[in-house]
Amino acid sequence: MSDALSENLAKYLAAKLNAPDLTVHDLARIPGGASRETYRFRARHGGTERKLILRRDPPASLIETERSTEYRAYQAFHKLGLPVPEPIALELGSDALERPFFIMAEIENAMVGSILAPDPYGAHRDRIGQQFFSILGRIAGADPKALGLSDFEGASAPDRCWRHEVARWEKVIDEDEGEPQPIARAAIRWLKRNPPPPAQKICVVHGDYRSGNFLYDANGDIRAILDWEMAHLGDPLEDLGWAIDPLWAHHDPSHPAGTLARADAIQVWEDASGLKADPGALAWWEMFASLKGCAIWISAAHEYATGRNDDPVNAFSGWYCLAYHNKVLADRLGALA
Amino acid sequence: MKPDAQDILNKSADQLMGQLAPALNAQYSQGAAAVMALLLKFAGKEYERGADIRAAENADMRALFVELAPRVSDAALRKSLEDAAAARETSFAISALNVANHDLRRVLIAFQIWIEDNGSREDQRRIWSVLKASADRRIVSLF
Repeated sequence: MSDALSENLAKYLAAKLNAPDLTVHDLARIPGGASRETYRFRARHGGTERKLILRRDPPASLIETERSTEYRAYQAFHKLGLPVPEPIALELGSDALERPFFIMAEIENAMVGSILAPDPYGAHRDRIGQQFFSILGRIAGADPKALGLSDFEGASAPDRCWRHEVARWEKVIDEDEGEPQPIARAAIRWLKRNPPPPAQKICVVHGDYRSGNFLYDANGDIRAILDWEMAHLGDPLEDLGWAIDPLWAHHDPSHPAGTLARADAIQVWEDASGLKADPGALAWWEMFASLKGCAIWISAAHEYATGRNDDPVNAFSGWYCLAYHNKVLADRLGALA
Repeated sequence: MKPDAQDILNKSADQLMGQLAPALNAQYSQGAAAVMALLLKFAGKEYERGADIRAAENADMRALFVELAPRVSDAALRKSLEDAAAARETSFAISALNVANHDLRRVLIAFQIWIEDNGSREDQRRIWSVLKASADRRIVSLF
């Protein structure tokens, strides 16, 4: 790993934490998605050592997001007692490490379930499912104002949530599609013609809450919910629709996120959030989830094709994930025709 | 020409995944190499089927346009449907098939919008049968 990055990181942290003797060791890049460069490292000073994570903007970001969003979400939900990494420092300037970045605590002895694995959680699937949908319910139930996140990007009123999100992702497709997308375009028209009821409340939407975006340990305990960079204000059902999308179901859509049976998962979410998952409204948000997926994968393919971000995960998304979500949409919309 | 491209890509993927990736020290490099190996497998399958699925999809769209164009009262749209239906592949190179495919898809999008406003439910279902067949063909299998 680059000595310069290590040295500059040590210099930054020494000043930030008022620890002149701080040194950085074992800096190594680890997998962490295509939208941020993720590094693990150890910071030593005063006879102590901390294991930390650096998340730095890539030269080109997959989905343009407000850079402070993910960090502020970690701050707010860490205070609320949800399992998220402890945030340490946020730097929006480019002087220290060439690009904006933030630093958070490393979650040790924990792993991520691969979305390609047929049964990543094994004997812990029910236990993890209970936590997974319960934590999502707590996020939905939390008050954005009390969290200090009421200025997050997103819808300002319950009846605007769906319109805001469809417009956001339609724009991504308009800007990034490398080939005409008849299925995604038909989905957008259907979503606009068949709007859901207004949101029960405005909440913080994680934006990418799914299997593969949390860390769990050998006891089946969820230790951290990750990747809050697409967090925004919106309808609580948006996250639920995304979490139960078939792409994240490990090849068994009857058990969303590879965990609980669908009805049980929704019940856990309702109990934890104090909200209702109206079947018709949820069906709309499930349709939206697959359309949003298409937009993200189209954007990933665009980043890869244009050379802005050649992480191979982007090529994988452009082929596998886009084809998958196109089929989900075609099956659902075709059945409604 | 032997070995087949799919064979080369598959064996390269197996070597990358089984022998080279585990020998890398950095976790990120191991992960990236594993994804690249998967992409090589996908590319092998795409090499085998790519021209076929595009030619079939293009033929499906042209057949759809031949069948339904007479019902379209919008003269400009009907003309574009008839022109698209009459066109034939000039090459089976993937790039040429893509150009034709993208032209046909653009016409299909405009046609579906018109049918949604003016056509019958049966016409809508006919269009979805073409789109579903396309989505089924293009699914990328992990196995």
